[in-house]
Amino acid sequence: MDKGVLTFARNNSQVDYIKQAVFLAKRVRKYLDLPTTIATDSIDYLATAYPDYEDIFDQVIELDWTNTHSLKRFYDGSISEKRLEFKNDSRCLAYDISPYDETILLDTDYIISDDTFKHCFLQELDLLLYKDAYDLANFRDYSEFEYVSDTSVDFYWATCVFFRKTKTNKIFFDLIKHIQENWSYYNAVYQINSVTYRNDHAFSVAIHIMNGYQSGNFAGYMPGKLYYTTDRDILLDLQDKRFTFLVEKQHHLGEYLAIKFENYSVHVMNKFSLERIINV
Amino acid sequence: MDERLEKALDFSNYMVTLNNQKRLLAEQFDQDIIYYTRGGQFTVTQELISFCHTLFASDQTVAVLIDDNNIPIEIESLEHFLSEINSIYFEASNKYLNEYSKLKKNRSVEGIIG
Repeated sequence: MDKGVLTFARNNSQVDYIKQAVFLAKRVRKYLDLPTTIATDSIDYLATAYPDYEDIFDQVIELDWTNTHSLKRFYDGSISEKRLEFKNDSRCLAYDISPYDETILLDTDYIISDDTFKHCFLQELDLLLYKDAYDLANFRDYSEFEYVSDTSVDFYWATCVFFRKTKTNKIFFDLIKHIQENWSYYNAVYQINSVTYRNDHAFSVAIHIMNGYQSGNFAGYMPGKLYYTTDRDILLDLQDKRFTFLVEKQHHLGEYLAIKFENYSVHVMNKFSLERIINV
Repeated sequence: MDERLEKALDFSNYMVTLNNQKRLLAEQFDQDIIYYTRGGQFTVTQELISFCHTLFASDQTVAVLIDDNNIPIEIESLEHFLSEINSIYFEASNKYLNEYSKLKKNRSVEGIIG
């Protein structure tokens, strides 16, 4: 059975997701010994900026270039922010375009530092996501990641998803497409109250529906734990598996605490600081 | 700034950083004691070790154990499983002790993070 990682990289005017994807692919090869396929709408840029891209990626899948009206605030630490395009509407295609029988779908800003995901392939469930996560800053209100909203369903992270190509998973990903196409309806019914479309929300709603409109075990849990820092924190240094962060200080806007964390993968949401650190 | 307050704030910053790192070391230990086998995920606790010892002491060689995700996993060699979880627990707890000892010795934020 073919196994591999799939990642989506669609640049906006300031965030170079392709650079992150190159970094991801190299670490996936190093720690998981797996190939990575990139789905992107900027193949010309990829080929120009990374002439050796065919050695880095197993396959390159072209996505249609589209402008999006979806805007999101991207923070770079707690006091700097930019409103930028957020092209996140391709993830529902993962099932259709993945060249693998068993796929780990990863965000480009997930910094692989261990081999825990190898265990996905050895277990029996066909769909795995993280439901729980651990904020390395540890003081922030976590409620938005427990439930989609205060009056809604369980929250699942679409950051790391393992799936096998099965008929049921085809139904699941087709359902996500339907939810995305009818987002204003599901946004209202599930009382999400978010202007911006989020894959985490669409996946969570789809899991709720597949479970028979209730909590259940349609989706299993990814192995290990999802560690993350938000875009209010800053990645200061990364040496192999050793991260140094400045995490925002509780009640002190613009002040930070230094922390170090090592040996486990981390979802680094501050794209700007990630791009400053990675060298590919 | 008053020198007394400045020194107190420096110390307070050191304490917060130290406590944060202690929390993260404990978190890393929690990950280090996870054992994956036969498609199951087991957090190796003192309770799991004791339970397996009890089974093994009563001449059981195979067992069905419920993993972290409530999935029943058939353990074909309890002896091997016990040996593996013992190793994982002792390796992880020794690593925890070493890292904790190093952390305690540092008297500055730079020392803790460096």
